[in-house]
Amino acid sequence: MQSSDLGWEGRRPLIPTARPWRALLESREFTIFAFLLALSVALSLRYPQFRTQPNLADVLLNVSQLAIVGIGMTMVILTAGIDVSVGSALGVCAVVVGDLLIGTHAAVVAVVGGVMAGVVIGLTNGLLVALGRVHSIIITLAMLNILRLVGFALLHGNWLTGIPSDLSALGNGTVLGVPIAWWLAMGLGGLATYFLRSRPSGRHLYAIGGDVEAARLAGVRVTRLTVFVYALTGALAGLAAAVFVGQQGQVQTNAGSGFELQVIAAVVIGGTSILGGKGSVVGTVLGALLVGVIRNALVVAHVPALFEGLVLGALIIVAIGLDLLHRRRGH
Amino acid sequence: MAAVPRPGRWLRAGGREGLIRLLSERPLFLLLLLAIIVVVNAALVPYFLTLGNLLSLTAYAVEIGLLALGEVVVIITGAGAIDLSVGSMVSFASMVFGLLLTRGHVPLGLGIALTLGFGVLMGSVNGLFVTVFRFPALIVTLATLYAYASVPLVLTNTVPISNLPSGLYRLTGSLAGVPTQVVVVFIPVVLVLGFVLHATVLGRYVYSIGINELAARFAAVPVRWTRFAAFCLSGLLAGLTAVVTTSRFASARPDAGMGMELQAITIAVLGGASIAGGSGTVAGVVLATLLVTVMDNAMNVAGLQSTWQLGALGALLIGSALLNQLVRQRFGTRRGRVG
Repeated sequence: MQSSDLGWEGRRPLIPTARPWRALLESREFTIFAFLLALSVALSLRYPQFRTQPNLADVLLNVSQLAIVGIGMTMVILTAGIDVSVGSALGVCAVVVGDLLIGTHAAVVAVVGGVMAGVVIGLTNGLLVALGRVHSIIITLAMLNILRLVGFALLHGNWLTGIPSDLSALGNGTVLGVPIAWWLAMGLGGLATYFLRSRPSGRHLYAIGGDVEAARLAGVRVTRLTVFVYALTGALAGLAAAVFVGQQGQVQTNAGSGFELQVIAAVVIGGTSILGGKGSVVGTVLGALLVGVIRNALVVAHVPALFEGLVLGALIIVAIGLDLLHRRRGH
Repeated sequence: MAAVPRPGRWLRAGGREGLIRLLSERPLFLLLLLAIIVVVNAALVPYFLTLGNLLSLTAYAVEIGLLALGEVVVIITGAGAIDLSVGSMVSFASMVFGLLLTRGHVPLGLGIALTLGFGVLMGSVNGLFVTVFRFPALIVTLATLYAYASVPLVLTNTVPISNLPSGLYRLTGSLAGVPTQVVVVFIPVVLVLGFVLHATVLGRYVYSIGINELAARFAAVPVRWTRFAAFCLSGLLAGLTAVVTTSRFASARPDAGMGMELQAITIAVLGGASIAGGSGTVAGVVLATLLVTVMDNAMNVAGLQSTWQLGALGALLIGSALLNQLVRQRFGTRRGRVG
């Protein structure tokens, strides 16, 4: 796991470890994977309805949306920023996708329109953060509420129903028994992993998160890359909105509210440091799976859905605790 | 530091320079803005400028004002300190207050004291993670924003608690035409906090760790204790807000504080607090509270729902944060880029 133990804090041991298998076993990705496996087995044994095909497909479909937006969020958090507006952004983009479907019956137009709406939202975030030099939590917290107003105004306070089923392939279609949206998330995750590990711009994101002034002095185009990561996150929220519309077939007035917590939880649980400069998309995808399985566990175990905030909040705290513990032990 | 006033200097400067100087004199700028909004309101709404209407408006200012005061102290302590959980703490404390009074049959005075104590407890959890375990405040309070909001919903399965003792409602009555909570809660809190923050050693500690934490540590300032106390104060004021809001609505609602973090942060930032720490004043917060209250009232009169008010607050937050940044780049030292 190159990108997770080769952070830009320069903590890599001078002599490479003689036991690479041990590095793998100690990596965050392996920890989550083992935990995920144990949890799934336990759930399957205790609640047989968990392992039914429709339930698992449903979990994967929800996880796909988390993972798609999580890819962008990982890059934002790598630069030591945060974007809490993704839930509202998904809501607004879902309205755009739904309206375009009703107007044109063309799936491609709807998806492109949703992504373009997301890019506009993301560009607004990115330009305000990068050029205004205001902390991203302030900008995106404000945008969270502004976008909810935009979505509310677009919907005139009513649910958007009667959306044609042209996008249902993206929402419910499967290839080899696995939802199409999941293949999409995997493809994007692969591209993002390649970008972060091997492209100069990808490495520069780690540099910005490690020390922004040092990165600037080293010639990294900080402003341009910052705008890019927010715009990308917006675009991915638009894509996730297309999956959302395909899955739900309608758009509620509160669509996407609370989604930002799930995405941030997935990224942070996946080992991406909230301080920036360390993390990987592989971790985020595993984190999204864990968040999805835990949310489903609450459903099959008949725990009130109201507890979700408490559970995800506690998970974030635990994940950060592990991360900081790891850092202080000098890894 | 924005807390140092330089009265009158902007008058001599004139032109564009003068405008930017005016913007840097935050209380003066807010007063001007407030005057403009009041005049516009008075022109549009005939009964706006009656004494009764103006006084009744202040009742709404108390709750968001209290939260903003806690928020500004947390933000002043710097190092990225922010409290996103204030609204959820209000919801949680409201339900605890309601349960204590109804199911616990606790006397009113003790109930209020216990609710304030519960607020401090919630704030101290935030403070503990931030100062002892050194978690980033942003992510800790984001996690508790959802965690604290979730528990009160479960407590009564989202049903509000009413049938509270009638003595409670005296808190939101009226004293010689002025809302009671303004006289017995808000003004005392403002005076005490203003005194502590601007005229005591503890207040200087708060600013000093926000301006330069390392220098403060060398000067033997108890950095961690001070920041911990700021989070506890934020919890205490959230508990107080819960008591006032429960009294005003005559019921304890599990979503009493929903969205209030946006109001608190907007008011703190509009009042001159910079997320980098070290700046912000009690006077600025009080003026910003009045400004937001009058703006909300205008939107109410125009028949716009709360979604519109929150959206407008979002725009106001971005505007005031950009303004703070402009002023700081012009006059202050550039203290670390934020991203």
